[in-house]
Amino acid sequence: MSMDSRNEATSPRDQLARRTFLRTCGLAVAALLGSGRLLQGERLLAWANMPGGPGDPEIPNEEVARILKSLFGNRPIRKGHVSLDMPAVAEDGRVVPVIIESDLPMRPDQHVKGVHLIVDHNPDPHLAAFHLTPAIGSVSISTRIKMKRTTWVRAIVETSTGEVWADYARVLVTLNGCG
Amino acid sequence: MTTGIGDARIRVPDRINRGDLILVNAIISHPMDTGFFRTAEGKPIPAYFISSVVITYGSDEIARFDWTSGISRDPVVSFTLRADREAPLTMVWTDNKGGSYKQSVNIAFTAA
Repeated sequence: MSMDSRNEATSPRDQLARRTFLRTCGLAVAALLGSGRLLQGERLLAWANMPGGPGDPEIPNEEVARILKSLFGNRPIRKGHVSLDMPAVAEDGRVVPVIIESDLPMRPDQHVKGVHLIVDHNPDPHLAAFHLTPAIGSVSISTRIKMKRTTWVRAIVETSTGEVWADYARVLVTLNGCG
Repeated sequence: MTTGIGDARIRVPDRINRGDLILVNAIISHPMDTGFFRTAEGKPIPAYFISSVVITYGSDEIARFDWTSGISRDPVVSFTLRADREAPLTMVWTDNKGGSYKQSVNIAFTAA
C-alpha cells in the first residue's frame, strides 16, 4: 500500500479527472473560437496532455477507461516488464499477429496471474484475457486477432502481488477485420 | 469451412527433458463469427466463437483463457510450459453455443 500512496498523484482516476477537465476547457475555448475549430482545439489539448514517458500512449476512450477501472481499480498502470510485439502495419485486419512476453518471474510466491489484451477501437475492446499459473514457467503468448481500424493496442499484465505493468503498440490497419 | 469445427491440434517439441521450458502450439478449427457480418443474401450471421480455453497438465489447471470473437478464425495460440513431470497436457475449448472440444498430448521425457 505504501507504493500506492507514492503514486497517488498519477493514479488513473486522477489522470482521468484531469483529462476530463482539460477536455472540457478545450471545448469551451473551441466554442469561443467558433465551431470550426472545435475538433482542432480538443485534439491539441489531448496532445498537450499526453505523458512523455510511461503511462498511456493515448487517452483511453470511455469504454477502455471503464475496462481498465474494472480490471485494475485505481492501481497505477506502469509501462515496463512487458513486450507487445505487433506489426506496425496490418494489411489484413482479420489476421493480425500478436506476441506478448514478460520478464516478470513465474514463481509460486510471485507470478503473473493475468495478461489482458485491449484493442482501443475494436467493437469489443477487451479482446482476450489469459489467466496464468507458475506452471507455465514464463509469459510468452502468441495468437492472431482481428482489428477494425488503426488504433493503439494495450497488453497489460497483473502480478500475484497486485502490480500492473503494460506495453503499447500502435497498429495501422488498412482492411477492416471486424465487419 | 463449416465442416470440421472443433478439430484441434496441439504441438509440443519431439524431444523433452525433465525441467525444460517447452513451447506449446495449439490450433482449433472454428469460424469465430463476430455477429457483425451478413451473408450474401443479407441474413445476419450470428456470433459464434470460442469463449474459453482451459489448459490442464496432469490434474492441475495451469491456465485459462477468456476470448471474444476478436480472436481470428481458426484460433491459434502458443504458450510455454515447464515440463517438470510426465503427464498429459489437455486443452478444452468451449464456444458461446455450448460446443466443447478437447485435445490432449502426452508430455513424456526423452530416454536418457
